[in-house]
Amino acid sequence: MSKRILVIEDNPMVVKSLEFKLKKDGYTVVLAEDGRVAMQLLKDQEFDLVLTDLMLPFVNGNEIIEHIKNVNQEVPIIVLSTSTQEDIITDAFEMGVDDFITKPFSPSELSLRVKRTLAK
Amino acid sequence: MPTLYFNLEDWSLILKINLILSLIFSCIALFFVSLVLYLRIRKNIKESHRKHLEARFIDFVNAFLFDETINKSKALGDFKYSYIKSSYDHKILIKQILIFDENLKGESSLLIKEIFYGLGLYKFLLEDLQGYRWYYKARAMFAFSKLGIEVPENYVYPLLQSKRVELRQHAILYFLNTSKTDPLVFLDNLEGRLTLWQQVLIENSLKSFEVEIPDFARWLDHHEDSIVVFCIKMILSFNQFQNIPLLVDCLDHDAEEVRYQAIQSLQTMEVSEALQLMLTHFPEETAQNKRSILYAIKKMGTYKDLQTLVPHIHKEDENLQVDFYKISRCFEDQIPVKSLLNIETLSKDWEDFQEYSMQQSIGA
Repeated sequence: MSKRILVIEDNPMVVKSLEFKLKKDGYTVVLAEDGRVAMQLLKDQEFDLVLTDLMLPFVNGNEIIEHIKNVNQEVPIIVLSTSTQEDIITDAFEMGVDDFITKPFSPSELSLRVKRTLAK
Repeated sequence: MPTLYFNLEDWSLILKINLILSLIFSCIALFFVSLVLYLRIRKNIKESHRKHLEARFIDFVNAFLFDETINKSKALGDFKYSYIKSSYDHKILIKQILIFDENLKGESSLLIKEIFYGLGLYKFLLEDLQGYRWYYKARAMFAFSKLGIEVPENYVYPLLQSKRVELRQHAILYFLNTSKTDPLVFLDNLEGRLTLWQQVLIENSLKSFEVEIPDFARWLDHHEDSIVVFCIKMILSFNQFQNIPLLVDCLDHDAEEVRYQAIQSLQTMEVSEALQLMLTHFPEETAQNKRSILYAIKKMGTYKDLQTLVPHIHKEDENLQVDFYKISRCFEDQIPVKSLLNIETLSKDWEDFQEYSMQQSIGA
């Protein structure tokens, strides 16, 4: 069975690109366009990896990461964000994220990082 | 049963006027209601067309980027002839291309440029650049500079001399974004004033882009004073110490703002060798530059340097004299006035200080 990835992103263009690329790589992709939908999906379903933005409507990325870490420590998280500020990146790693990718991103590189994170 | 019968001839004049006015206003109201409805419907149709085209385009770009099985040139042709019908369609796609380019990098970014050329968007924007509407030109320049796509120089150089500040700004941004070897080449051809905002824009770009910082001495003899001022600031900002002798020469420049910036930069760089020239120029300088020279003495001079100005300072306005006094206090505790800024003792303090300065000037 293919690995399930939850993509939490509010930019429709980025969402579509991620969905296209990850499906092409053989993953099952579930999309959430805001933090509230993501929280609901995390309650109802199980995922092998979460790929999330930090700036999200209703519930921000940090709260989602905190929620995931409280419920299930094992789920790997990759952050995909426009932020390049050192403190934001270190905060994310301190919260337990497995990888941090900054936008603009290379889809091929993202694909490799997802693969590597899932293989851990 | 009475029949309804209107004979207009029987109506009084006032009733006839009322009737005509009512009809006119009804027509006007009807026209405006129809116009609002028409515009609303038109807007909705355009909006739904935009969403449809955006969705198709995002799917097309993703397939183009990630699906190795498709025939790319055929896909480009098909999309172009199926979906791009009007200039509005071009505008929608250009906006989407910019969003893609902003979010993706690497190989995808190169493919996005391939789409840009393949769909005729480059040609469309080039035509905008040749047009006469300034906002079309600004939009084209913005897109080209964001995508880092070069266009023939004869399209861009005239925009640097445009009367519209927006166009000049976008032309500057274009050069900064596209030139890899000489990002400030446009300064050679810039005729008009370089505004403070443009100076900030250029400085920030130079700091954030991966370009080689040019030697700013190249424009120190530019005919436009604002460019010389900018270059003096940049020599300081990028620590181009090799240009210090040229900065000292700027103390003799005809323009007050250039001399002011030279004093400021030399002071920050602590070039004490330049102080003697500043002191020589002091009597002929403007009030603002005199103040700068006083603060330059405070930073890199001595009390003796300050004292050489005593014969001149009495001829200056009181604000400058107060500055002179304040700076004197930094060197010499013995000056008889202790609290010139205290409003209660100000008059007395001031008299004391003037008397003291006079005595100093006559060597008492």
